[in-house]
Amino acid sequence: MSEHADKSGISQAFRWFDPRGRDVGTIAFILNRITALGLTFYLFLHLIVLGQLAKGAEAYDGFLATIRSPIFVFGELLVVAAGLYHGLNGIRVGLTSFGIAVPQQKKLFYWLLAIAVLGSLIFGIRMFTA
Amino acid sequence: MSTTKTKWTVNLKVYRKKGQKAPYYDQFTMEVDPDEYVLDAIERIWAFHDRSLTFRHACHHSTCGACGMLVNGVEKLTCITYIRDVVEDGGTIVIDPLRNFPIISDLVVDMSLFFDRMEMVGQRQVIPIAEEIVGSSQKAQSAGNGKEYLRLSDCIECGMCISACPIAATNPDYLGPAVLAGAQQSGLDKKPELLQIVDQENGLWRCHSAYECTAVCPSNVDPAWRIMDLRRQVTSQRFKRLFR
Amino acid sequence: MKMIQPTSGPKSGENFWLWFLKIVTGLFIILLLLIHFVVNHFVAEGGLLTYADVVAYYRIPIVPIMEIAFLIFVVSHALIGLRSIILDLRPSRPALTAINWLFTLIGIASVIYGVWLIQVIVSRGSA
Repeated sequence: MSEHADKSGISQAFRWFDPRGRDVGTIAFILNRITALGLTFYLFLHLIVLGQLAKGAEAYDGFLATIRSPIFVFGELLVVAAGLYHGLNGIRVGLTSFGIAVPQQKKLFYWLLAIAVLGSLIFGIRMFTA
Repeated sequence: MSTTKTKWTVNLKVYRKKGQKAPYYDQFTMEVDPDEYVLDAIERIWAFHDRSLTFRHACHHSTCGACGMLVNGVEKLTCITYIRDVVEDGGTIVIDPLRNFPIISDLVVDMSLFFDRMEMVGQRQVIPIAEEIVGSSQKAQSAGNGKEYLRLSDCIECGMCISACPIAATNPDYLGPAVLAGAQQSGLDKKPELLQIVDQENGLWRCHSAYECTAVCPSNVDPAWRIMDLRRQVTSQRFKRLFR
Repeated sequence: MKMIQPTSGPKSGENFWLWFLKIVTGLFIILLLLIHFVVNHFVAEGGLLTYADVVAYYRIPIVPIMEIAFLIFVVSHALIGLRSIILDLRPSRPALTAINWLFTLIGIASVIYGVWLIQVIVSRGSA
């Protein structure tokens, strides 16, 4: 059912993430917004967790041992993938925002997505085999 | 006259809403020629099945911009959308009104705020003929690079870009693609007063580059490119003002 | 025109300078991350996998400066970005004023905390 202007704000926020019937630009937008929220969450989590450094060698090394379990490594890989995508798409959005390469925005998206996926794979392999 | 006459049977699922009553879908099963347009089928519903169905249309050749609707969830100018392109024989076409506008009745949405905003950025609904004749000789016809030619007055104000925009989806205060594109067409150099309309909290900086406006535009206005071009212009103006 | 009065009312919504700052900080984040990877790869070979590694890494004079700059850029980029997402949700004026104050505080607090933490680590390296 179609959505209308009498509805707005947070009740409609799910529509940001609905790709049905949309073009690649929306896929780029959705991924950008999801990675933005994810990375912001990670940033503050990271800052809090690094507080362990202040508690000295034992606390920090103990903490490092915990995050070496596969589930944390996978989480870290998600952060790397999100960072890669958000950074590369940021270049695309930044360039086009000054009127540069706007007609090429779809092609740019496919390229940056390929680089982000490839980069995440390389990181993933290195992280899980190291 | 030797074209093979085929007939398809399709279901049209049409959004209905009257007054304060809850919306629902009506289904109409009908025979159509796949080379007809979606609007033809909708008109036949009105003509033969249900006279209370309201929808907007006028020119039937993508000039007036009145018949923009959602066809299977995608913004389409129904007068130029072939039935063949949106459904198969025996399938269903879902017709909804445009998003991000208040609904007046069934498929008709209230575009008055949008039209007011278009006027505000210098895109008037009606232009006196004398003025149009004088103006036309001065209209620029090229994109500036001498290769690609763009018609600068293509916007038919169908509102489909606003329906497709994810930012307009949650915030109707955002001026929206067509209005910002209209301001770019009017030109900051010719109308410097437009600067404070586009460079404000609900203007240029709200676009988040989903490029859906350009994807659904039936008229090659390329609103996304115009928004970005306007950003470039305003950014350089801002810096010039800073270092003057 | 009746529905938009660009010159009246408080202008605490989206604006050019915040939008521009988001792009500039984004660019610096990318540059610093690149440098960070290169430095990490060539200087701290094998990564910073123990407390001792981290302390040693922070003894390189450029590192604390780079990290503080990185922190400032990342925190501002994140908060400006999060704010523009919230703006898309059409917050009321009082809610927006509260968000502006809250985010400014979070930003300043994060940077003070980060600088303090870096200073702690640097002091342990030189001790």
